[in-house]
Amino acid sequence: MKKFRLLVTVLLLLAVLLGACTTQEPAPAVEEPGAEEPAMEETKEPFRVAVVMPSSINDLAFSQSMYDALLTIQSEMGGEEAMEIVYSDGMFVVDDAAAAIRDYASEGYNLVIAHGSQYGSSLQEIAPDFPETSFAWGTTVDTFGIDNIFAYEAASDQGGYVNGVLAASLSKTGILGVVGPIETGDAKLYVDGFVAGAKATDPTVQVNVNYIGSFSDVALAAEAANTHIAAGADVLTGTAQMVVGAIGVAEESGALWFGTQASQTELAPSIVVANQVYRWDVVLNEIMDLIGEGTFGGTSFVIDLANGGEVLEFNPDFDIPADVAALAEETIAEISGGAVGLQAPKFEDVFQVAVVMPSSINDLAFSQSMYDALVSVQEWMGGEGAMEFVYSDGMFVVDDAAAAIRDYAAEGFDLVIAHGSQYGSSLQEIAPDFPETSFAWGTTVDTFGIGNIFAYEAASHEGGYVNGVIAASLSETGVLGVVGPIETGDAKLYVDGFVAGALATNPDIQVNVNYIGSFSDVALASEAASTHVAAGADGLTGTAQMVVGAIGVAEESGAMWFGTQASQSGLAPANVVANQVYHWDVVLKEVVQMIADGTYGGTSFVIDLANGGEVMDFNADYELPAEVKSLALDTIKGIVDGSITIVFGE
Amino acid sequence: MISDLLSMTVLVGILASGIRLATPYLYAAIGETFGQRSGVLNLGVDGQMLMGAFTAFYVAIKTGNLWLGILSAMVAGALMGLAMAFVTVNLHAEQGISGIGFYLFGLGLSDLLFQKLLGTVETVKGFPKIQIPFLSDIPVVGEIFFRQNVLVYIAFALVPVAWFILNKTTLGLKIRAVGENPEAADSLGVSVARIRYFTIILGGTLSGVAGASMSIALVNVFQQNMTSGLGFIAVALVYFGAWRPWGVLAGALLFSLVNSLQLWIQVLGIPIPSDIAVMMPYILTILVLVATVSRVRAPSALTKPFERGD
Repeated sequence: MKKFRLLVTVLLLLAVLLGACTTQEPAPAVEEPGAEEPAMEETKEPFRVAVVMPSSINDLAFSQSMYDALLTIQSEMGGEEAMEIVYSDGMFVVDDAAAAIRDYASEGYNLVIAHGSQYGSSLQEIAPDFPETSFAWGTTVDTFGIDNIFAYEAASDQGGYVNGVLAASLSKTGILGVVGPIETGDAKLYVDGFVAGAKATDPTVQVNVNYIGSFSDVALAAEAANTHIAAGADVLTGTAQMVVGAIGVAEESGALWFGTQASQTELAPSIVVANQVYRWDVVLNEIMDLIGEGTFGGTSFVIDLANGGEVLEFNPDFDIPADVAALAEETIAEISGGAVGLQAPKFEDVFQVAVVMPSSINDLAFSQSMYDALVSVQEWMGGEGAMEFVYSDGMFVVDDAAAAIRDYAAEGFDLVIAHGSQYGSSLQEIAPDFPETSFAWGTTVDTFGIGNIFAYEAASHEGGYVNGVIAASLSETGVLGVVGPIETGDAKLYVDGFVAGALATNPDIQVNVNYIGSFSDVALASEAASTHVAAGADGLTGTAQMVVGAIGVAEESGAMWFGTQASQSGLAPANVVANQVYHWDVVLKEVVQMIADGTYGGTSFVIDLANGGEVMDFNADYELPAEVKSLALDTIKGIVDGSITIVFGE
Repeated sequence: MISDLLSMTVLVGILASGIRLATPYLYAAIGETFGQRSGVLNLGVDGQMLMGAFTAFYVAIKTGNLWLGILSAMVAGALMGLAMAFVTVNLHAEQGISGIGFYLFGLGLSDLLFQKLLGTVETVKGFPKIQIPFLSDIPVVGEIFFRQNVLVYIAFALVPVAWFILNKTTLGLKIRAVGENPEAADSLGVSVARIRYFTIILGGTLSGVAGASMSIALVNVFQQNMTSGLGFIAVALVYFGAWRPWGVLAGALLFSLVNSLQLWIQVLGIPIPSDIAVMMPYILTILVLVATVSRVRAPSALTKPFERGD
């Protein structure tokens, strides 16, 4: 009931404000646009700005950040006589927004802002028809190469990182909850930054992320927040305008909240700790200067902590412990100074990546882990305008893969990734023929001593060990089953780690291991799992893409499942206990940085629990007993700080 | 450890596993038997299975109706068969090459549809295990044979049906005649084209069910290339079974039982390297094939396009 009341209050508030603002909006002026000369030359004419926004100007989020920026500039310039602002807010229908953008342009506004990445393709059509009008849009860095379009973006991962550092420091339960809209653009960047900051502060912290699929569904955002609370989260954050629903839940349950885009302190002064506030006026000032000089577009801008376009605003009513505040300040200083390696290098042209993978990009395993990482790196570099990637998946035939690798290299891709150890010998032949192309392959640490090959590997035994510890603690029958593909590489490492973790926890445990001889035979994987169950196993794990067949058996027989490579929780929410998730983006970011610095290979990388390239993802739907959970967290800590040495058995 | 293999749990486990593993092979190989007996080698089985597996999974997950899933898998397989029949019968294309083409087509298309329509691996509630009354209560035997899902029973029931059709009906006689001596069959008024269309489409239909038996009965997920070449094993099993349904059954069971045996060997920790263990079914199949192949002869017109002389 309380939630409903809050919802109604928020909606009423929005409605009232919306009504009030609409009346403020000046009636469309009757003018002859053709007769008007460029406004900047006549000092008496105000600078006229029109903006189209997807949500309300007082959404306490994305749209408000732009509206506030315009008001700031207006007052700096000397009020309404110097600068005129009109806006169309709540333009969540792209076609309506496109019509409004065209109208504003034809009415002779000096600057028309399309504040939403969804307006991009409309703008691309409209802008060339109005060469005398300047357009700006975001969040993106892509001006389409059109010289009357500016682009702007927020390095939202930076404030996200700081929020994550604070959240991990303040959480008592060690569980953080994130409510996101759709896993893309600004939102994803913020969320990834938050997760990275939290994990960097405390590798054992659990960050549960929930993308609700909507920018406006306040009720669903509230429910997502409730879910996080039920899963034990005591700190929440979220991005986009629908999070007002989540803030209410946070307040009700006494959880802490971290805001982004605009200051959300006033919504819940007792629980908001800090907000990353966007100051688009930093960008708008530059844009208006350029327009004054006669440049109508062609440049893109990024706001970040260093240039003051992003500001970490702490809630003065919330008492942050001195050491935590100091840590936050330190982190901000480090990011602004470029010490935290978050800032993506800039390339002159679009950075092009091609990847060849043995299975499908949504195999819930090895290939998917790389695909997800590329999506994440693309966001990090600034979207499709800065980085493009193509992939060939399902390349289980090595000769086909080799042909694809050669083709990509010949087509001039900057980085060609051969994601599979079976591609090694092909790569060894191909790479020397393309000295200007950088290659990466894994999982291995072997660069063949070739100067344009990077190698990457996962310390998969670490997460395997943690999974083994949990499995041995939870098993009632004292029997565990492992379904592996072929006894080599990443798979063997994971399996050995699992066995070691289980035996370290319970020396009497029996771990039956089964390699089925195939990476893709789901039917055999399923039978292997049935065999384990028949042999008494009540906890199963497995690695590589064919294990989706085994997870079904775990579900059917009520056995626990432990995942690796990607999160498999969604396949059997009642049975999956935990997953070791690979974050290859940790490696790829370093690779991109090295290429930017002119090094095309020769280095190998390992992802592990310490560097955040491997993350233990506990299934929020699985109720893990508190003592087992803390044992698991202690194990992670021990592996990270080196106090636990993983000893493989005979 | 070796003695563990003889415990009741293990024996029951091996047999029950083996019967489940044999199911997709049976559908696909029985279908292929009809085609080969009429003189057409279809190497596209695996592609047809993948299309069947995806179609059944997609329809089942969207409608919640498993039988509708089976039906659509049959249609998908039949359409693949129809295309194969047109290419090999009307256009006289080289059968081996066009079969590989259809395999790649099915592999690619099923993956494309999976990416576009589903986008991620999901599970579906597949056919439940049916406990046949009374029979399933028989100790040991009941557990092995009578607690399986309905598609397993149908697969095994298909063997005598196929044997009956091939050996005891006019249709079977025509199929065999077309495969042995199409010219003679043609001169007696049997339409070689029509018979071959029938067997290839039937083969496609059964391959579709073979795929469906994996995606909505045995494994209950769909994944890119989930058959992983199983359709090619099915083709080999037809040779193994000497083009006879009972022979195919023997081959499918032998292969599957050895496969489930090696799973248990690893689980019981019997010290055989896993690489050797996984090779066992293949090695054994090759050995049996070598030992038996000399005594039977392939259909004379197998892989030979039929062109009606004037």
